[in-house]
Parts: sequence; structure tokens; C-alpha cells
Amino acid sequence: MDPFFLVGVLVCSVSAVLCVGASLLRQPPNDITILSVAAVELFLLAYSVGAGIRQVTGDPVLGEAWEFWGYLLTALVVPVGAFWWSILDRTRWSNLVLAAAGLTVFVMLFRMEQIWDGVAGL
Amino acid sequence: MTAGHDDNLPAKGAGATDAADDARRTSRATGPGRLLIAVYGVFALAATARAAFQIATKFGEAPLAYLLSALAAVVYIVATVSLARPGARAFRVSVVAVTTELVGVVAVGLLSIVDAEAFPSETVWSAFGRGYGFVPLILPILGLLWLRRNGAGRTDD
Repeated sequence: MDPFFLVGVLVCSVSAVLCVGASLLRQPPNDITILSVAAVELFLLAYSVGAGIRQVTGDPVLGEAWEFWGYLLTALVVPVGAFWWSILDRTRWSNLVLAAAGLTVFVMLFRMEQIWDGVAGL
Repeated sequence: MTAGHDDNLPAKGAGATDAADDARRTSRATGPGRLLIAVYGVFALAATARAAFQIATKFGEAPLAYLLSALAAVVYIVATVSLARPGARAFRVSVVAVTTELVGVVAVGLLSIVDAEAFPSETVWSAFGRGYGFVPLILPILGLLWLRRNGAGRTDD
């Protein structure tokens, strides 16, 4: 199992739990929830670098390479978009928007691992 | 930053300078609507990417399913944009889009079970959106409830 994947699952889950928790406490987006989404973005950047290194050091994508990178580029936009969308409306619901970013990246990461390992899908 | 529950109330009647701000935050795009639109946005993205992939790589395998995939993508995009925009016209467009979505997910859901050959379980709406945790089935219901609560009359004040 790819250690990057495990770290990503952890970061995304912690972020989603923090954001849902803050929403339950009726908080608008705050430093903790915004930073947790920033951590998701930071992870994705590290994952991109890691994937690039894997690709050129003899452990290439087994599935469609362009599909993998398409997923990754899209995933990189998700936390940024969620951040922008949430801070324009400072209600508790915006924390659930931030939580949705973590969950979406989680699902996309799962799919990216499948593509990397050549598991058929779609 | 912890007691921010009251600083999000727009100042009513504060003058024309707030018009642009009000246009951005309609009653449909705040509170629960904010989350609804975000989820619609994710599905618009997912459905578009998936339909584009299917049509580009294997359209011949199941043309009907992939065309419905593309239709679903268009419906999600229209719903996302119209829900986020202010005004009575955007409201009407969003009612049509979300209703189309509900009809689509139920119709494709039934067809994909009755005639599994034509629907190799590959669209967002197959089996009532099972591949997406049934969110595609729940989303239009929540969407219509939200639109009913925020009728056109309340957005035009």
C-alpha cells in the first residue's frame, strides 16, 4: 500500500471531521477549519511531487496516465474552490462546504490509487 | 473569529453600494443553499469529466448510456449555475433543472435495472446513483425542498 495514500486518507478524514464538528458547534469557517483544508491542498501538492517521482523512477501509472493526472489537477482545484465558496458566506453551513472538499478529495484519491494500480473502472 | 454568527446578516437597505454584494449573496446561495450548490458543483465536475471520458474513449460500447451521461452533466451544470445566481429567472431555470434531474435519476435508475444491457452501470444516474452513494437521488429532492422554501417572491425583494 502506498504510504502517500494512507497519509492522504488521514489528512482528508481529519479535515472533514474538524469541519463537520465546527459546523455542529454552529461556527462559521475559522482558522482551524480553513487550515485543515489548506493541509489537504498541501498534501495534494506533495502527492503530485511524489507521483511525478514514482512515474520517472520505474513505478509508472498502470492505468491511463492522462486520466490520473486529470484527476489530480481537478483535485488540486477542489480545496481552493471550497475555500473561496465558503468564505463568501460566513455561516455554519460553509464549514460543511469545507468538509465536502475533504470528502471529495478522499474519493478522488481512492480513484487515483485505482488508476495507478491499473484497476479497471469507469 | 469565534462569535461570527451575527456578522453574516446583510445590512438591509444600506444603499445602492450593497447592490453588487446582494447580487452575489442571494437567499438561495446562503446557509444550507451554500452547501447544496457546493455539492451540485462537485457533481457537475464529476459528471462532466466522466461523460467526456466515456464519449472520448468508448462511445460505441453504449451510446445511449453515454449520451445520458452527457445530459446528466449538462443538467448538473445548469442546476449549479442557476442555483447560485440571483433573480426570478434563475429561480425558474433551477426549478426546471432540478426537476429534470429528479426525473432523470428515477427514469435512468429504473431503466438501468430493467434493461441492464443498455446501461452497463456506467452513468451517474445508473441504479439511482448507487455508485455515488445515492447522492444523485437525494440531491434533487433536497434541491426542490430548498427551492420551495426560497420561492421566487423572496429573492426579488
